[in-house]
Amino acid sequence: MAEQDAPQAHQILDSDGEPSSDRPWIIRTYSGHSSPKASNELYRSNLAKGQTGLSIAFDLPTQCGYDSDDAIARPEIGKVGVPINSLDDMHLLFDEIPVEQMNTSMTINGTAMWLLALYVGVARERGVELSELQGTTQNDLIKEYLARGTYIYPPEHSLRLIAEMYEFCLDEIPKWNASNICSYHLQEAGATPTQELAFALANAISLLDLIKERGEFTDEQFERAVGRISFFVNAGIRFVEEMCKMRAFGELWDEYTRERFGVENEKYRRFRYGVQVNSLGLTEAQPENNAWRILIETLGVTLSRDARARAVQLPAWNEALSLPRPWDQQWSLRFQQILAFETDLLEYPDLFEGSVVVRSKVDELKRDAREEIDRILGMGGVIPAIESGYMKSALVRSMSERIAAINTGDQIVVGLNRWTEGLPSPLLGGEDGGIFTLDESAARDAIASVERTRAERDPERAAAAVEALKAAARDGSSMMEPSIECALARVTTGEWAGALREVFGEYRPATGVDGQQLSLAGDRVDALRERIGRLADQLGHRPRIVVGKPGLDGHSNGAEVIAVSARHVGFDVIYSGIRLSPDEIVLSAVEEDADVIGASVLSGSHLELAEQLFEQLAAHGASDRIDVVVGGIIPPGDVEKLRGMGVQRVFTPSDYELIDIMESIVDLVEARVEGAVAS
Amino acid sequence: MSDTTDELVERARSLDKGSVARLISRFEDRRPHMAEHRAEVLAALDGAGVAPTGTIIGVTGTPGSGKSTLLSRLTVDLLSDDDSRSIAVLAVDPSSQVSGGALLGDRTRMRYLPDERRLFFRSQASESDLGGLGPSTFQVCRLLTRLFDCVMIETVGIGQSEADIRHLADRVYLVLQPLGGDEVQFLKAGIIEVPDAFILNKCDEPSSSASYHQLRASMWLARPFDEEAPPIFRTSALTGEGLDELEADLIARIDTIGGAGLREREPYFFGRWVDDEWGRHGVGVLRERFGGAERFLADHGGYETAQAAFADEVLRQP
Repeated sequence: MAEQDAPQAHQILDSDGEPSSDRPWIIRTYSGHSSPKASNELYRSNLAKGQTGLSIAFDLPTQCGYDSDDAIARPEIGKVGVPINSLDDMHLLFDEIPVEQMNTSMTINGTAMWLLALYVGVARERGVELSELQGTTQNDLIKEYLARGTYIYPPEHSLRLIAEMYEFCLDEIPKWNASNICSYHLQEAGATPTQELAFALANAISLLDLIKERGEFTDEQFERAVGRISFFVNAGIRFVEEMCKMRAFGELWDEYTRERFGVENEKYRRFRYGVQVNSLGLTEAQPENNAWRILIETLGVTLSRDARARAVQLPAWNEALSLPRPWDQQWSLRFQQILAFETDLLEYPDLFEGSVVVRSKVDELKRDAREEIDRILGMGGVIPAIESGYMKSALVRSMSERIAAINTGDQIVVGLNRWTEGLPSPLLGGEDGGIFTLDESAARDAIASVERTRAERDPERAAAAVEALKAAARDGSSMMEPSIECALARVTTGEWAGALREVFGEYRPATGVDGQQLSLAGDRVDALRERIGRLADQLGHRPRIVVGKPGLDGHSNGAEVIAVSARHVGFDVIYSGIRLSPDEIVLSAVEEDADVIGASVLSGSHLELAEQLFEQLAAHGASDRIDVVVGGIIPPGDVEKLRGMGVQRVFTPSDYELIDIMESIVDLVEARVEGAVAS
Repeated sequence: MSDTTDELVERARSLDKGSVARLISRFEDRRPHMAEHRAEVLAALDGAGVAPTGTIIGVTGTPGSGKSTLLSRLTVDLLSDDDSRSIAVLAVDPSSQVSGGALLGDRTRMRYLPDERRLFFRSQASESDLGGLGPSTFQVCRLLTRLFDCVMIETVGIGQSEADIRHLADRVYLVLQPLGGDEVQFLKAGIIEVPDAFILNKCDEPSSSASYHQLRASMWLARPFDEEAPPIFRTSALTGEGLDELEADLIARIDTIGGAGLREREPYFFGRWVDDEWGRHGVGVLRERFGGAERFLADHGGYETAQAAFADEVLRQP
């Protein structure tokens, strides 16, 4: 050591006092699609390109707890991620990937305990020690209720599942993050930085309150459990403020864990987080600009050493257009590698230490966030704040302010509301037009896989495992070991989730049909009621409409507004609820002898779902008796396709006047009645 | 409408869902000329030797008592208990008095067996905001008891209108939830006199034991003349507790020929139909000019012809 050289403020020193530099964050790409085999190939090629961790995307049926051969799953298999039906699929997914060397992050929530059980199952059957496993199950149901929609069970049961995972992991898989408190999705749903800070921290505090209350841990264990709480955050385009937000997160978490939970060890108070930068702000217009947005957003979570992410995954430049292709993901990966390995970023201590400007901004964010956290804790924590709709309406308000600002041009988005003229992008050339198309055979493979597992397993062992799981769910003992036995016994995803559905029931959001406020009154409503009265005389019954949501996205608001509006103008409404297969919706309509089916679809699978609706109507011989209307986020190109399939009316977000929609549906029923009279 | 009545009836007898649904619509349709179509359907069924022998089970209770969830479990169990058994569920919900429209059928809780013909689910609007039976529930039962072994009528019990179900069902169950304060309310409303059996649901909840004893105690007060107290079943759709006993009770009733009383009850429902269509004026005419519903039905050779005849009579009035 050269003693004459005193350490410099711009140097990082290692434990020997030698100038050093930091290790880079974990570099990952959020990916998975089609089938376990295809995803495995993708993961292995990503690892070969220098990616240092895995981030697994699951398809909606896996996230919502359905097998691939369930009728409700069919249109969604392998769409937004990989389908996993059983331990056999999980082995395929990690084929030739050494799990003991991986840091694996799974974006899984309602079925998180199940996917962890499957991962444990892979390790056990390979003879890997559980203590060697590292990674994260996202497992944050609070943000599912608020923003993301793949919840299954009611809040109290969901929180019990989360708590039991912490209790299991603490000593069995000490390097596993049982859950990831997500502020990511809150920003995607419109949250301001203050709301992101406050809602995420209130969520973490409420979870720790619950774990403490359950009394399963000694004080020493509880302190370590606090140390296992990790976060998943978002980083937007206002990157200076975002950097300050991350510093505020770290300081606030340190303060709350010390003040509220008495955590002595500084190590367990550290704010550990992974990040995916913002997708909400990525544009479909001039998509190549998104590459710069992603770059700048990444700076917000890497520049400051004291508030640097532990793991980073980046979206792809064309995410607003489609799922990314392997090349698009590689492009994002290369940017992380350049930042971590080419630049000198990792050689310096914190760059903003002592900055008056940054200090002042961080203090402001902390003050506002504390106020909001106090408000939520004053309501009794996050569960009451969700059930009362407080948090949801705060987000909805922020989101509409954001959209209004973009519409008026107060918030500039380059290529979207300013400088919209541009040359055509050569990136969108190529044979595939710059977008990814799914292999159609994926769904067939997934169904074959689950059938094979059921045929080859020991049926008695599987049945006994499911019974033991239900027994644990009922008597309050931990469901983790029974879940692992289910995994080893080749129980399927749908069977595991179905068993717990039987015991816990399913959550239905508090937005409830009766709570809807409608702006429906006046002459047009009166006139419509008269027309419906006349229709009732002609038909021999009040016109009947079946309203339901085929598919797996959990956003029930649109369907509920339509159901309530229809009753308000005089329809008899059969509201079928969310997460239905097209078969179930058609069955309702046939048994109820309905005049109209109103289907709300936001999952992007409207073409497949409409096709299934019409197949089922034909199977019941009811095609010429029941009209179908569809509402949802439907791209203009697909509107014509739906009309071509026989959908009578397509309503998109531009049809926001409820009375217009109602009149249009009544026109339809009238036309049918007149047609019948004429013929 | 291109299918003939005979074709529809033939398919409905094999429980084809679309055909059963369309026949139900005919029995719900209150336009005068539909009486003729109903007579046609009944004649076709009679001609095929199909009698109204299905058992009518009434299940009533306040919203939130968990009766939909309970019913969905019971129907699954009853169907798997006997491969030949068939069940129709008729769920009656209140209508809005402002718009006339209704939000019907908690079908989400009945989510199973999409290909199972032996189970049929239909919603009905009560056309009143108090709950109780709808104006055509009786009519629809005349059809369904000819097609299914069991017709379960689920109603929201809120007031006196609930007494109607006693006239229609072979056996009525009242579903209560622990400590809903229901015991006292039902006692006051006289509703406690209606059911043949009580179901104290959600007995997994800690307060259920106290509720059970309270209910037991109030029974003697409310029904002092019963030879033996009506049974109280304690159930939980969550844990499955008590379902075996309740199902045994249901099966015993379903396996006995039911619906025999439908004819006996015709006068009551004829009177109610007159009241629905013509109000007090009609009821007065029926009583004073024709000596009441029973006489009128006897004089006019059957329900459908009696309806047509009465409509003529009333319309002929100045």
